[in-house]
Amino acid sequence: MAKAHWTERLQRFDRRWLFLVMGLAIIVPLIFPLGLPIKPGPMTKAAYNAVEELQPGDVALISLDLDPASTPELEPFYRAVVLQLKRKHVKIVVTTTWYQAPPLVERWIREAIEQPLAPTYPGYDGAPDGAYKKNVDYVYLGFREGREATILRMGADLRQTFDGRADDGTPFDKIPMMTGIKQLKDFKLLVDVSAGYPGAKEYVQYVQSRYGLHMIVSTTAVSLTDLTPYYQTGQLDGLVGGLAAAAQYEKLVGVTGTATAGADVLNAGHGVVILAIVLGNLVFFAGRRARKRGAA
Amino acid sequence: MKKTAPLVLGIAVGLYACAEFYIPDWHVRWLTQELQTWGTILAAFAYILGGVNLIQVNYPKIRRRERDWQYKIVMVVAAGMMLAAGLKWHKLYQSGEAGTVAIADDHGGAAAAGKATIVIDAPADVMVKVGALPAQPARDAAGKPATFVVDAGKVPVRVYNRIAGYRDYDATLEVAPAKIATVSVDPAMLWGTKGRVYNWLYDHVFAPCNATMFALLAFFVVSAAFRAFRMRNVEATLLLGAAIIVMLAAAPIGAWISDDLVDLGQWILDIPNNAGRRAIMMGAAIGAIATSLRIVLGLERSHLGAD
Repeated sequence: MAKAHWTERLQRFDRRWLFLVMGLAIIVPLIFPLGLPIKPGPMTKAAYNAVEELQPGDVALISLDLDPASTPELEPFYRAVVLQLKRKHVKIVVTTTWYQAPPLVERWIREAIEQPLAPTYPGYDGAPDGAYKKNVDYVYLGFREGREATILRMGADLRQTFDGRADDGTPFDKIPMMTGIKQLKDFKLLVDVSAGYPGAKEYVQYVQSRYGLHMIVSTTAVSLTDLTPYYQTGQLDGLVGGLAAAAQYEKLVGVTGTATAGADVLNAGHGVVILAIVLGNLVFFAGRRARKRGAA
Repeated sequence: MKKTAPLVLGIAVGLYACAEFYIPDWHVRWLTQELQTWGTILAAFAYILGGVNLIQVNYPKIRRRERDWQYKIVMVVAAGMMLAAGLKWHKLYQSGEAGTVAIADDHGGAAAAGKATIVIDAPADVMVKVGALPAQPARDAAGKPATFVVDAGKVPVRVYNRIAGYRDYDATLEVAPAKIATVSVDPAMLWGTKGRVYNWLYDHVFAPCNATMFALLAFFVVSAAFRAFRMRNVEATLLLGAAIIVMLAAAPIGAWISDDLVDLGQWILDIPNNAGRRAIMMGAAIGAIATSLRIVLGLERSHLGAD
């Protein structure tokens, strides 16, 4: 039996070798970081500037529409933006439209809002942040089922949507920072940390344009292309797409977090995918040429 | 009647939903909010329907020992466990306050200085926060309860477990000078969506499984990139070129190679991508409007059932 051409052998080779290369591309940069410079892009800068424009005492809404799968991409932005909001003494209201999110959101609140964040970033030399107190500096609204319907209701009447109470049962009327907050447009800024549906797209389509909300979005890399039209039309004040942009945001805030560490993984991971494409095509075309020669 | 009533109801609600956008009257706004509340309640009922459907679909397959029936048992049992963990069982046996406070006279140094003392009697793995002081464990290394000398008056006290799922003690104590307030707390385990069991299942089962599924994508992408992404024609070559440029531009290595590469990546995102996305979005929106109009006008009736 004739020995198979090298291109055929390469096309049929065990794909677990590719998995191993990808695994190494993820692990090695985490152990030996390359430390390539991170340059913030225009959409990330715009998001940062939108937060910088807030004044002490303003109230911002953070909608955490995600699940644990998207945590590596979205948590670094969340932590960086919360640090930025806290050091500007902006009050924070947190909610979610994802049923999978509440335990994750509650942990993130405990770790990032109720505790000072600045000491957790090694080498951070910016302004310190404080520990926010529940129902004084921040309010957690919890989760309401209804997806777009809930977003619509929040736009029209936030108090009715949450039965006039925070997640822990405290009436809004007993929370001074909720005075004057009746609907979404009463927030100075809406920060949506969005991993998909329902999320940024639904906020834009159902309430942003209708009520003229100021809104920035952090999303996963795969959702970025879906949302860039909204940034271009000015419906989004800023857009932070994927881990690379989260690393850019960390740089703007002045912290070195998990996104900065993960940026090296992106360098290597994207490199492996590009090499796989190039190598796959080389093998494909060399094989086709060999088959043509053989046929001739 | 069986078909006419839902059809008329659908037409009325559909026309109203379109019209309300243009009528700035509070009656209309009130009615809209009421309808949205109904919508939210209906969405919540979908979970019950989903649960019933889960049993209806899987139970016969388990009974007949169809292919992979063992996985269906895992799914049904897991769903049952999450449901059981999500119910607030502690309401059946827990009541009253999360802790008790005993006030006694103080004859120590704090009393002489006109101060009050707060003693927290709680297990060692519990954290205590008194007033503006930083949080600390309820017992020191020697096992002695945390003791705080404070100014007399109202003092906020919070006693909580480090891990989620336990009942917090959160109160404002009014303490007089030369008094010792002993707060006895043993944070009880909670059930329900804020309970320990639910949080444990979420953190140790759901979150790792969820993250694993997403993480596997990287490996399948690289396998697909090697085996399927071919320059077979001009369109595929353009797609491949754009993908490589955007991938490089999306990582810091792009800027390291050349700033022009990043600009080119951003241009691809801003111009050709947005043009394509807009076309898709507008097409889908027009399609949705057309379908909605067909439903509202009663032309589309498939959602009402076959008979």
